[in-house]
Amino acid sequence: MPIRLLPSALVDQIAAGEVVERPASLVKELVENSLDAGARRIEVDCEAGGMSLVRVLDDGHGIPEDELPLAVQRHATSKISTALDLAAIRSMGFRGEALPSIGSVARLRIASRVVGAARGAELRIDGGEMQPTAPSAQPQGTLVEVRDLFFNLPARRKFLRAEATELGHIARLVERFALARFDVAFRLRHGGRVLIDAPLADTPILQRTRIASIMGEAFMDGALPIDREAGRVSLRGWLGQPQAARATSDQQFAYVNGRAVRDRLLANAIRLGYRDVLYHGRQPAYLLHLDIEPEWVDVNAHPQKLELRFRDGRQVHDFVFRAVHDALGVGAGVAAPTASPAALGVAASGATPGDSGTAQSGTTQSGAFEFATAAPGFWPSAGPLGVPAVRDGAAPPPLGMGVSAGSLGVAVAQLHGVYILAQSEAGLVLVDAHAAHERVLYERMKRGFGGRPAVQRLLEPLVIETAAHETEAFEGHAAEFAAAGFDLSVLAPGRLALRAVPALLAQTDLEPLVRQVLGDLREERGEHHLEAAAHVLLGNIACRAAIRANRRLTLPEMNALLRDMETTERAGQCNHGRPTWTLLTLAQLDQLFLRGR
Amino acid sequence: MKLTATREEILGPVQNVIGVVERRQTMPVLSNVLLSAKDNRLSVTGTDLEVELVSEATLTVSAPGEVTVPGRKLLDILRAIPEGTNVTLTTEGERIVVRAGRSRFTLSTLPAAEFPLVEDIQAMQVLKLPQKAFRTLIDKTHFSMAQQDVRYYLNGLMLESEGGRVRAVATDGHRLAMCEAALNERVTGKQQVIVPRKGVLELHRMLGDGEGEVEFALGTNHVRCQIGDIRFTSKLIDGKFPEYSRVIPANANRIIDADRETLRQSLHRTAILSNEKYRGIRLSIKPNQLTLQAHNPEQEEAEDQIEVVYAGEEIEIGFNVTYLLEALSVIETSRVNIALTDSNSSCLVTAAEADGAKYVVMPMRL
Repeated sequence: MPIRLLPSALVDQIAAGEVVERPASLVKELVENSLDAGARRIEVDCEAGGMSLVRVLDDGHGIPEDELPLAVQRHATSKISTALDLAAIRSMGFRGEALPSIGSVARLRIASRVVGAARGAELRIDGGEMQPTAPSAQPQGTLVEVRDLFFNLPARRKFLRAEATELGHIARLVERFALARFDVAFRLRHGGRVLIDAPLADTPILQRTRIASIMGEAFMDGALPIDREAGRVSLRGWLGQPQAARATSDQQFAYVNGRAVRDRLLANAIRLGYRDVLYHGRQPAYLLHLDIEPEWVDVNAHPQKLELRFRDGRQVHDFVFRAVHDALGVGAGVAAPTASPAALGVAASGATPGDSGTAQSGTTQSGAFEFATAAPGFWPSAGPLGVPAVRDGAAPPPLGMGVSAGSLGVAVAQLHGVYILAQSEAGLVLVDAHAAHERVLYERMKRGFGGRPAVQRLLEPLVIETAAHETEAFEGHAAEFAAAGFDLSVLAPGRLALRAVPALLAQTDLEPLVRQVLGDLREERGEHHLEAAAHVLLGNIACRAAIRANRRLTLPEMNALLRDMETTERAGQCNHGRPTWTLLTLAQLDQLFLRGR
Repeated sequence: MKLTATREEILGPVQNVIGVVERRQTMPVLSNVLLSAKDNRLSVTGTDLEVELVSEATLTVSAPGEVTVPGRKLLDILRAIPEGTNVTLTTEGERIVVRAGRSRFTLSTLPAAEFPLVEDIQAMQVLKLPQKAFRTLIDKTHFSMAQQDVRYYLNGLMLESEGGRVRAVATDGHRLAMCEAALNERVTGKQQVIVPRKGVLELHRMLGDGEGEVEFALGTNHVRCQIGDIRFTSKLIDGKFPEYSRVIPANANRIIDADRETLRQSLHRTAILSNEKYRGIRLSIKPNQLTLQAHNPEQEEAEDQIEVVYAGEEIEIGFNVTYLLEALSVIETSRVNIALTDSNSSCLVTAAEADGAKYVVMPMRL
């Protein structure tokens, strides 16, 4: 076949392949346009899972009548105008691709009226064929209606799934938007039935309600608020309690500048922050908004903008990791895990028992303890972003109790040689002595191993064969390896010689560790592997050193452990992620015995 | 098969081989021992596919035969029978019946043909040396073998023979132990084998202090030797042992001469407050004075001083104290020499009067 230029309708259809994958992609593009138009209320209607109809109505600033035909042209946009804008994108979209792409694969109708205009106008496109604009009785804002997706592309239509599946994708997407923008009201309807109704959430209480309605009451009850800022980045949101972690990653919401992302760097930083408090294989739940100056992030890296490029990925990674790590690292006195009513066999009443626990925990009491400083790693990592500032709310005075005991109360007895029973002001505290002691020892050891590591020299250098890019990765980070206690040098291209290792890791299998670190250096997380490998070992030592079941404890010993827990970071879980303690509030106990009814 | 003997006559050989029979098995036949009876002799074989032990006894065989029986159970039964009782073992179909006094035990069996045996090892060389010398060779080196290292060739003891000498070397990558012994007969050619860890430990257990000669046969894939009533066969590790001669420091010129027991006790004391994970200890050496120092994550400190003979420059060096202590515990002379180059290079520990053994320990930076 001779080489020739493709007809423009076909070019559009090819371009649409990247943008429009399924009905949910339509909703994504249209809602983003609405948000960029400054809408405060967005309504999404769909039918047959969006395959026969997607309609998005907003109250944004609208499109003037004479710009309507331009709006559906390829590479036509009002969002950016110069290359400079491209370097600092503040809008959701910028490519000018969505509407023409949609217009080429579906029947599109756009109706819009700008503020103050006497009348609205509408435009129709059927599979790329534009009709002239006509007057329309459109209120202020824009309405975009997409019917019969892929009516002209039977091949693509075959790839659509069942109605329920496509609808699920749309609902999920609208939820993501709802969690991103509390200043906008969202509503999703399917065939007239309201599926999601999220009114404007401009107060903290309304925001909590919105999050709870999407992520569940259980998440919101124990969630630890996070609010940190350091120079040009800030991180806000809620972290789910480690014990509320789930088997799947379906409750992980991460946003960068209001854009929902599935970025590996962020996901990894968050996962590392949860390291050693999660039970094996569990996925944390979180809702996090990372705001960063637009100049410092490139969103033009992925067709659906799910992945990003940070200008200084390493520091963003470190900032997010420290923020999450520290937020989870509060002492046991602060974030109170409460036994769920279901677990106790108590019927849940109107007031959730968890409320009493969280009301006096979370932000309100965090001032009672010094905010955790970053746990020491192999080397200090204060980058130019500096030490992140903690911006938690002001601390009310700790609860007076008469007894000089912390929030874990005073030990009363030991149960079956395993559990400590303690009376606290809130109720009854149950502690798994082994798990708690394990965590206390572990955190102490981690502190002890900070600073310059002891190094064991090897009799014979261990030669590690590497790929060219790994050697290169090593050369850029040689100093960090040295600081961690590795004597690693390039022997020849593609061959590294390991001559000394951190004494703590001397008995482990070193080659895979070095390889893993090299492989990950490019993704800005190498150092954490070295740290993690050492911590796994410390964790095992701590587990062996901790008191065992059936060890009889005296009351002073138990009280000492409770006080230790209150000042230990991450004392809520042992280093394998099992919970260490739980609280039965007086309200829960009263409920058990039907008191005060 | 039918045989009769006193309890002790059968118990002995079973006890000799049971050490290699693993309790948990994926191959049922490996938890069995092979009984093979003919010409009034019974031989009992146990194996874990790596090490094979065969032990023989003389007793009355009325019907020859071969069969495998559960090893641990047979041992437990024989042990539980009163001393001196006459025991009869008879195969009845697929079972074996053990009769002793008024007791009767019926055990299941597996066919002898299923039992993996090492036949001829195709010896290329036979090393002849006194049993005691062989034992010393293993004694002085086995503790340096690696344990479950990915470098599988380190999980064993290297034996190398040349001319009239045999040399044993073990290393785990951080330290190395080497010992030499004279052979009773010169061998031709040079052979190098790596005996796996388990085989070495089993051999160590079997070897006594006698002056009697042991014939240690080296094959391509196996080694074999007969010690008393027991025939030992072990597979070899197929791999290349590191060039050990390279790591033995040649020009370590700072030599400390110390009393072995004093040094050992001082290390032992100081180690109490060393880091319990990697047991780091710091040695500061001045003319005629050695200071040992250790501290742990709780910032507790130990310091000890001993007198030594040393005339060189001052030097400071760190070690994993376990490595030093293990070497010192197998040196027999009253004085030891520690030879250093600098604080980053390996250190050589030897007995003051050469005994054929050398210990190399890599330092630690603390």
